[in-house]
Amino acid sequence: MQRRDFIKTLGAAAVIGAVVPAMSFAADAPKGPNAFSYKQALDTITGGKTPVKSEKIHLKVPEIAENGAVVPVTVEVDSPMTESDYVKAIYIFATKNNNVRCVAMHLTPANGKAILGTRVKLGGTQDVAALVEMSDGSFLVNSQSVKVTIGGCG
Amino acid sequence: MKSILKITLGVALFTSLSYSSEQFAMSDADRAMYADLLDANPADMMVQDGKELLSKYGGGDAGLAKFLHVSEDKLPAFIAGFPRYLPDFKKVVGLGQVAQALMVTNGNKAFALKDPKMFNMVAYIKSIANDEKINIDVNANQQMKDAYALGEKTFNERRGGRGLSCLSCHSADVVGSILRTQPLPDLGVNNSGGTWPAYRMTKSSLSTMQHRFQGCMNNALQAVIPLGSPEMVGLEVYVTNKAKGKAIAIPGLKR
Amino acid sequence: MEERKALIKIKPKSYADGEIVKVDFMVMHPMETGMRKDKKTGQVVPAKYINSVKFDYNGKIITSMNVWESVSVNPVFTIYMKVNGAGNLKVTFTDSTGEVNESSIEIKPKG
Ligand code: HEC
Repeated sequence: MQRRDFIKTLGAAAVIGAVVPAMSFAADAPKGPNAFSYKQALDTITGGKTPVKSEKIHLKVPEIAENGAVVPVTVEVDSPMTESDYVKAIYIFATKNNNVRCVAMHLTPANGKAILGTRVKLGGTQDVAALVEMSDGSFLVNSQSVKVTIGGCG
Repeated sequence: MKSILKITLGVALFTSLSYSSEQFAMSDADRAMYADLLDANPADMMVQDGKELLSKYGGGDAGLAKFLHVSEDKLPAFIAGFPRYLPDFKKVVGLGQVAQALMVTNGNKAFALKDPKMFNMVAYIKSIANDEKINIDVNANQQMKDAYALGEKTFNERRGGRGLSCLSCHSADVVGSILRTQPLPDLGVNNSGGTWPAYRMTKSSLSTMQHRFQGCMNNALQAVIPLGSPEMVGLEVYVTNKAKGKAIAIPGLKR
Repeated sequence: MEERKALIKIKPKSYADGEIVKVDFMVMHPMETGMRKDKKTGQVVPAKYINSVKFDYNGKIITSMNVWESVSVNPVFTIYMKVNGAGNLKVTFTDSTGEVNESSIEIKPKG
């Protein structure tokens, strides 16, 4: 087949393709029923304490999400998970979604390992954050940016 | 040559095609994360539903084996050869048509081929052949030869207002080029034949291979060919044959 | 009330008492954000999402989750648990409209 031909025909097909609306982050963007900001979420959970950024939290998210509707997230926290020293809670936030809250997991030593895996919707490129509450009452945090090529909201 | 093509494509299409595959190329770590999702594929629930439907409306695996005139232990290898020519039908058929006839034989009204319940059933039936290698034989008989030829013709034929064929986007020449952020897949290397029915993450639903073809036809502004038609079955034969020898792993998981 | 298809998978398939296993829980649910417009009617589809998931192992809640609409459609949740005797793992899940369902799997350590 002629390359020139291909370019012409394919180009036409490509531009007419459905445009997937990315969720707007602008201040005047419509707010859904559960609008909740990252700051609000952190303050509510930690009671104003500043969480410490920690490499004990292994946050696995793709650098580039090929589809914002299904973005894999895994949070693993280094912890012996014993009665005296365990992870009490793992929170996952999509820091720029209308409602940043995704999952709040409450663990017990019976989990054996402090791991939470799920898949989240990301309305656009943003940081995904994991906040962790340890059994001694301290809070740790870690985050990673995810570049979204097609938005997942709407 | 290939990289020149990519650049030309990019320039020609501005934002529709990226300038090079690097811009959207996934790292190996990212790819591994997505591969891990297969471990807990939401379509596992649909396959389970398909299993329940098959036992309710078609007598389960045993009923299916009997209907296909094979023993239950030969059933996986037999399913790994679909689409097939079946003398009972006097034509080459896909698993959806088999499921329909099986339902009717058992005194039930058949689901339409486009019914999601039928997709679930087809996914379960094909999953019986999991780990088997695709053993489609496009030279088994004249009917298979004809189906393959019709599939190839349909694949290569330019149709619709844009004059596109399946080959326009799935030839070795363009594979790996990026179309609206999506790398154009090589249907053989990608084992399409062994990984559909699959869960489509962009649609949050299970889809069969023929239904996926319809998606591409829609995108390419081609008139959509009906499920189960000779052209559709031919396309499935042609595309499945590209992955002959690869292992079946149902349900697949796709973007 | 609508019965939701759900599935619990334990990995590995065969495990010993005391072993830590992976538990995948998934459910078919639309996870409506309350912000999506129906393409045909143009109307906003009301919010409806899984909001709570509880894992009960032999009568003890080992893990509970609050969940919001930013979780993907047909959600999957992966946790780990330490096998501690034969019995039953029951997952109870509710959604924001008040639907309550449960799903369970037998825990059967080998040996
Ligand atoms: C305009 C370009 C274009 C045309 C024309 C086209 N496709 Fe595709 N096709 C794609 C792209 C891009 C993807 C990958 C989409 C994705 O990842 O979501 C794809 C995916 C597929 C897949 C799934 C591959 C997998 O992962 O297993 C199959 C099967 C397929 N196409 C078959 C066909 C058939 C058959 C035709 C002709 C009827 C066709 N395509 C026409 C662009 C095209």
